[in-house]
Amino acid sequence: MAESALADHPPDTGTGFADLVRRHQSMVFSIALHFLTDRSAAEELAQDVFLELHANLPTLKSEDHVRFWLHKVTAHRCIDYKRRRRLPQVSLEDVAEPSAPAPAGDPIFERKLRHVIASLPEKARLIMILRYQEDLGPKDIAEVLSVPVATVKSYLQRSLALLREKLSRSIGEVTI
Amino acid sequence: MSVPNMHHDMNQIEEQLKNALRRQDAPPDFTEQVLARVAEHNSIPQVQHHSWRSFFTQPLVRRAAITATAASLALGGIHYRNVRRERAKGEAAKQQLMLALRIAGSKLQLAKAKINEINATTN
Repeated sequence: MAESALADHPPDTGTGFADLVRRHQSMVFSIALHFLTDRSAAEELAQDVFLELHANLPTLKSEDHVRFWLHKVTAHRCIDYKRRRRLPQVSLEDVAEPSAPAPAGDPIFERKLRHVIASLPEKARLIMILRYQEDLGPKDIAEVLSVPVATVKSYLQRSLALLREKLSRSIGEVTI
Repeated sequence: MSVPNMHHDMNQIEEQLKNALRRQDAPPDFTEQVLARVAEHNSIPQVQHHSWRSFFTQPLVRRAAITATAASLALGGIHYRNVRRERAKGEAAKQQLMLALRIAGSKLQLAKAKINEINATTN
């Protein structure tokens, strides 16, 4: 299935590449946005990733391979970007609301949650984004970030514990 | 702040995390911007460089270039030899002229001395 997606739309042609960008732009942009909490920085980073993808297309054999490559490169570019620019921690109160309406849940609570996620250390934040935005399992995350699976699991546990603690502290009386 | 459920268990937190971290739409002109950057990146030096390189990798062009280089080297060699020969001829002619002038000068001196001698004897 994944292989035919590229076969039907050869990525070396303009339209093939445009389709590839359309299929994956929301994924790349969202990882960058959730990590950097800055829309314009996320857009710039996502464009850089697709520019790099274009240069590396001949080495990518299937749609799955493209997706894995995009996860990996976006994750690494996010960390590089943050280290290079030393962006200040931006409050998610300042970040624009998502263009799509929330399917369920309390938007204020979700915003609070994103705020707490943004305060996590870089690697922990990336792991949370790959786990809950991309629905990747610990093994896939470990491959994307080139770290042991045990490290991913440990980060996930610690991050969840930290989230619960921070949320319960900020929400006060609420037990999470 | 209102919280939907007062007693979140782990699954509920994970669901909330999925909602909070759901994918966002990229800006509407995102694809066009990427394609424009790719086109810009491809248009300038690399393509020209590549086309020149590929032009010279064609066998006919390569053979023509080698022949043209060899012909211009040969013509240059012939021209250089002619120039050297002309210069040597000029140098020889100059030496002959100098010799002739020296001989003429000494003859003139001799004639002048003879005239002075005749003048002295007649006076």
